Amino acid sequence: MSKSILLFGYGNHGKFIAQGLANDGFHVQVVENNDDFYTQALDDGFNHALKVDVTKDEDLEALKPESYEQLVCVMDDEHLNVFLTLSLRSLFKESYILSISDSIHTTKKLQMAGANKVIDMYEVSANKIHNILNRPVATQLLEEFVVHKNGIGFREYIIPEGSFLHGLMTDDIDLAEYGVLLVGMIDEELGHHFIFITAGVNHKLDSGDTIVCIGKYTELEAFEKRMKQKEMN
Amino acid sequence: MNKILLFIALYLHASKAYRQSKSFIRDLLTNANNPYKKYVDITIIFLIITSVVILIYEVKHPVPAWLDFYDIYIVSFVFSIEYLLRLWVHNDISESIISEQKESHFLGRAFSPVGVLGEGMLEKLKYMLTPSALIDLLAIFPAYRPLRVLRIFVLFRVLKLLRYTKSINQFTEVLSNKKFELLTLLFLLFFIVMTAGIAIYVMEEQTNPNINSLFDAVYWALITISTVGYGDISPVTSEGRTISILIIISGIAMISFATSVIVSAFSEKLSELKENRIIEKVNKSKSFLLVCGYGQMTKMFFRHYGGEYDNYIILENSLVRMEQARKDGYDAIHEDASRYETLNKFNTDHCDITILCLTASDVENIYITLNAKSISRSIKVIARASDSSMLSKFKHAGADHVLMPNMVANTMIHTAITQPTMYKAIHAILTGKSVARIDEIRVYECESIIGKSIDDLAFKKAKLLFMGIQRQGEFIFNPLHTEIIQGSDILLVMGREISLDYFKSLYEKGVS
Repeated sequence: MSKSILLFGYGNHGKFIAQGLANDGFHVQVVENNDDFYTQALDDGFNHALKVDVTKDEDLEALKPESYEQLVCVMDDEHLNVFLTLSLRSLFKESYILSISDSIHTTKKLQMAGANKVIDMYEVSANKIHNILNRPVATQLLEEFVVHKNGIGFREYIIPEGSFLHGLMTDDIDLAEYGVLLVGMIDEELGHHFIFITAGVNHKLDSGDTIVCIGKYTELEAFEKRMKQKEMN
Repeated sequence: MNKILLFIALYLHASKAYRQSKSFIRDLLTNANNPYKKYVDITIIFLIITSVVILIYEVKHPVPAWLDFYDIYIVSFVFSIEYLLRLWVHNDISESIISEQKESHFLGRAFSPVGVLGEGMLEKLKYMLTPSALIDLLAIFPAYRPLRVLRIFVLFRVLKLLRYTKSINQFTEVLSNKKFELLTLLFLLFFIVMTAGIAIYVMEEQTNPNINSLFDAVYWALITISTVGYGDISPVTSEGRTISILIIISGIAMISFATSVIVSAFSEKLSELKENRIIEKVNKSKSFLLVCGYGQMTKMFFRHYGGEYDNYIILENSLVRMEQARKDGYDAIHEDASRYETLNKFNTDHCDITILCLTASDVENIYITLNAKSISRSIKVIARASDSSMLSKFKHAGADHVLMPNMVANTMIHTAITQPTMYKAIHAILTGKSVARIDEIRVYECESIIGKSIDDLAFKKAKLLFMGIQRQGEFIFNPLHTEIIQGSDILLVMGREISLDYFKSLYEKGVS
């Protein structure tokens, strides 16, 4: 199930994101309006990259953004990025738009322009500084988990029908013997919110709930198979 | 004689205790950043104030004998000890005797320590003649009450306060910058007062019953020129009145001149004084942050977390941005953090300093990193780099953490696309906004954990999720329950802040 992403911009951010997504097996369609970046994208192996004037609505419509799961706006020119976000929102009401912002003021504008998610470069960095100052080891480890550096990472599972987990309470299960730790879950009965296991509320797991675990790769794989079994050994 | 002197000098030189105590006392008395200096200062100020209060009280009331004893013996004793210590640490005679001996040995001439001894003594004598040393010396003498004139000695005790009050020191420092203007003014004042005094003496000595001597005449001139005008002596002839008119006019001019000199001296130094105050404030704290540059990154950091950091200074070398930072309500000074003198102002010996290099330029950030590390290896540096090609350079320069805003943002976007549920979780954990966050427990802060196995610890009770141990740079994920905690371990846990605090409180008290 490879997701398809329409990526606007192949500059500072776009380049890294496109390559990362392609490595993860996503279908990435790169769109640029700058000649240099466009050539760069072709050189890097994105043969389907398109050079489009993103200020023209017809050209945007021709890209058929509605057929992609997410639209990602990471143009280097922040004015263009806001304009693009606004155009996309006005043309395609249903699409999921993610934009990057590199200043406090732009974040607000992007939100007003209708981006579903705005990632503020400085905000995340400021958070990181705060974290480094207060918990240096935890910050570094967490980062390594996110980029899967030590062979340890997070993974989300949907509890399959008939799994032994169905009907158990979160306080009663200890997944440590499988080599994984339960971090949190999305309880579909209670709305689509992520709940941390340590929030202090005991939840009942049902089939169809999403759980998030952390563990070593091999053990995460093994746990995925194990989860499908009915019996708890 | 020579041999005895040399022997003493060598003995003192070889004695570690002697050198250590001397440098300790020197630091205690003269280094404003010494953490214990304030206790010495407070003691001395207390002694001064009490002895002055005793004297004032005594004017109208009899005082008990023990107060007299306290004033005459204890205060004087402490002051004389202080005076002798200051004299002692002023220079090292023994060191110069030894170096003289080495030199004469090298040159093959006869060794005579008397010369250097004399030089050393002269040096001490020079110190004794400085105003602050003279005041210290005179302040030792208690006010001898039966003789009213000798009560003046208490004044020296008040003057001694000057040494211990920073604002007066700064005041004199500011004025000393205008030495030339003030001296000119003083000379002019002296000239006018003398001329007018002599003139009135010559004109009115015969006719004015109040002017009996030249002293009276000069006194009148000074009272008039300063616009005080007591009126006890006033001119009676028209010649005398003409002189009055002239010196009153010149007096007004002179007062306005003096005022303007002092005001301009202060306005020139005001921003520097303010900055020194800010620096002094943080230097007194145990640990503080130095933030270099007031750009987007710094603004964002302070907007989110400004309230959590009490001790910090923003260093900004652009005046416009420094003003902006002050307007936004932060402590900022206009300094270039890449200069050695700037960072050297901070108390690197007694404080934990963390520098955030957040300027937009890599070159600048690397330079600041190197600068900080060259002053003290113990300064922690968190530097911002524009891209990963800079990473190795920053590591080489000695930065403890390198932050790449681009990379952080890219990783976040990547996660947001590939693992949307995880993104929420990770974002929440990273920002600490949610109920849960990943945090670390430093075992050495809760000593009673050491030697326990993981099963023994009350993670469940505190509602914490135990994730692993960081041990000597290695992360052990989900270790066996029988694993024993070691002193240098850092435990990685996930949970609410209150859970974490509760957990720590459990083990701080030594309860298991």
